[in-house]
Amino acid sequence: MTWTIVIGTVLALATILGGALYHQWRLNERLRTQLDAAAVDLENLQQACSRLAPAGVVQRLVTDGGEPETGTAAEHKVVTAMFVDLVGYTAMSERLEPTVLVRVLNGYYERMSDAIHEHRGQVGSFVGDGIVAYFGALQPNPWQCDDAVRAALAMRAAIREYNAELKREGLPQIAVGIGIDRGPGVAGLVGSRERRQYAFIGRAVNLAARLQALSRIHQVDILVTEAVRVQLNMGFALTPMPATPVKGLAEAVIAYAVIRERSVEREPAVG
Amino acid sequence: MTSALEHVGWESCLIDPRPDRALESYARRKMGIPFPSMRYFAPVPWLARALIDMHPEFGLLMHLDQSIADLLTLVVSQENSCRFCYAGVRLMLWAQGMSKARIERVEQDLARGDLAPRTAAAIAFARRQSRGGPATARGAREALRRAGFSDGEIREIAYVVGETDFSNRAHTIPAIPSRTLERMPDQIHMRLLRPLINRLLERHRFRGRATPLEGADFDPYATLVNTYAGSPIASALRRTIVEMLASPHLTRRCKLLMLAVVARGLDCRVCAPEIGEALQREGLNEPALTQALAHVDDPELDAGERLLLRFARETIWYEPGQLQRSARALRDRLSGPQFLEAIGVASLANGLCRIGAMMLDHP
Repeated sequence: MTWTIVIGTVLALATILGGALYHQWRLNERLRTQLDAAAVDLENLQQACSRLAPAGVVQRLVTDGGEPETGTAAEHKVVTAMFVDLVGYTAMSERLEPTVLVRVLNGYYERMSDAIHEHRGQVGSFVGDGIVAYFGALQPNPWQCDDAVRAALAMRAAIREYNAELKREGLPQIAVGIGIDRGPGVAGLVGSRERRQYAFIGRAVNLAARLQALSRIHQVDILVTEAVRVQLNMGFALTPMPATPVKGLAEAVIAYAVIRERSVEREPAVG
Repeated sequence: MTSALEHVGWESCLIDPRPDRALESYARRKMGIPFPSMRYFAPVPWLARALIDMHPEFGLLMHLDQSIADLLTLVVSQENSCRFCYAGVRLMLWAQGMSKARIERVEQDLARGDLAPRTAAAIAFARRQSRGGPATARGAREALRRAGFSDGEIREIAYVVGETDFSNRAHTIPAIPSRTLERMPDQIHMRLLRPLINRLLERHRFRGRATPLEGADFDPYATLVNTYAGSPIASALRRTIVEMLASPHLTRRCKLLMLAVVARGLDCRVCAPEIGEALQREGLNEPALTQALAHVDDPELDAGERLLLRFARETIWYEPGQLQRSARALRDRLSGPQFLEAIGVASLANGLCRIGAMMLDHP
């Protein structure tokens, strides 16, 4: 009888212990799976972030938690800045239903962003109907001016195609003004503790915005500064515009309208 | 074996395989088992040999622990999304006796950062190069020293990272099929043959021995090669560069121009002037060279050179889909060996200039 009680107690204890160990093992496995999944998510997020900010900045954000004192050290860089704006947006927004307007705007943003990315540029921000883009900000790019102007020409072609689409749907045509300047500045994460973005701060961004506004006065779609012109390949056909005063600058700005890129020979002569 | 890169888009292969018994027997002598990709590179012998001779697994490393070298290869291939090389490294680990679960655990440890300080520093260095370019990695060299790596080990870390970049590009640009490699560990006959494969590989995996750098001086990358003087790496680099420049499919001038474009894009300020001097000896005057490098274009260049310079430029940024699309556009305008040589030159230029930009102190 005593033995039966002892054996029963031992078995009961062994069952409870076994159950507890099994439960703990299951818990450990679940935690490990969750930890692994979180690590993979973090890794994917880090890789995705590398497309939005330089790897060094992302790395510092991960290791330092993005505290302003250590996590956002700014870098001095020479960058080509582009400012794109939709001509006649206010009038269009008054004429179109909000849902249609959003659809037209999304189509415009998508096409412009594609042209920028295809030419090694990076969209810095969308400002209303405007787009700020940088070339050579994320990674060094010695061909940044050629790339920016080629992106602008690709935007011109994309707008032409998009207009044909809009016309078929009976929607108003759109046009853009593009300003491009190049110069030194500071690149880094800017913003409040709650919301930050990778941005380039420099005179080039302001001048690109002013140039975009000048494009309406000169009745052209793409304008570049002298700083960009001297860096450009001779294959680009440019037309000088009359010097024009702009807000915030003591001297009148000389700008050049981009006409086209002269085509090069198509057939290879290798072998 | 499920791969983290299975979601990565991979075009259909852009080149045709060609069996080459001499090459296969060379690979068997050097590595034990020829890589399945060898036959794709057979039409351009220097490229096929470079992929064998420069592989860090077989007698090149004198200082760096082989297990760290394996992890570096795995991480760089993963960062670069090279499905073929990534599957290749996993297969090597599997053949060495690691279970599939163990390989997955190693990958998770890499993602979690749950690593010994030395390994963590080496992995961080490789990641910074892959994500931010060689200039970013140069800044991380000090962290390697702080983690206790010797100068010899740091040079070998840079070599393994740069060589993997070369191999990744050579396999990614022509979209060498990776499915066969990815499926091998799941095949019954491969599981049965695993001990034999391991023995064959083990017999050919050995530490590098001090090797004097012999032969006449040459210009492009001389400083870089001399940095490795005394190591078998220097001889492997030198032989590859000399054979690449002597190969007949593209002109020497065209190849030097491609090297120069990549050196400029990666800001390798030691390699660039050496390539520039070699180009001037080829008859390209300085203004034409300056213009060609400033705009990847110049009236003195012929149409083929312009085409290949633009292609070389595209290879600096590693996006598999975009690389394979530009290669597809190029393929229809060149002969098979020319196309393959162009891929080899651009890939090698990226590997060499990255090592140069990471390791050499810039003027």
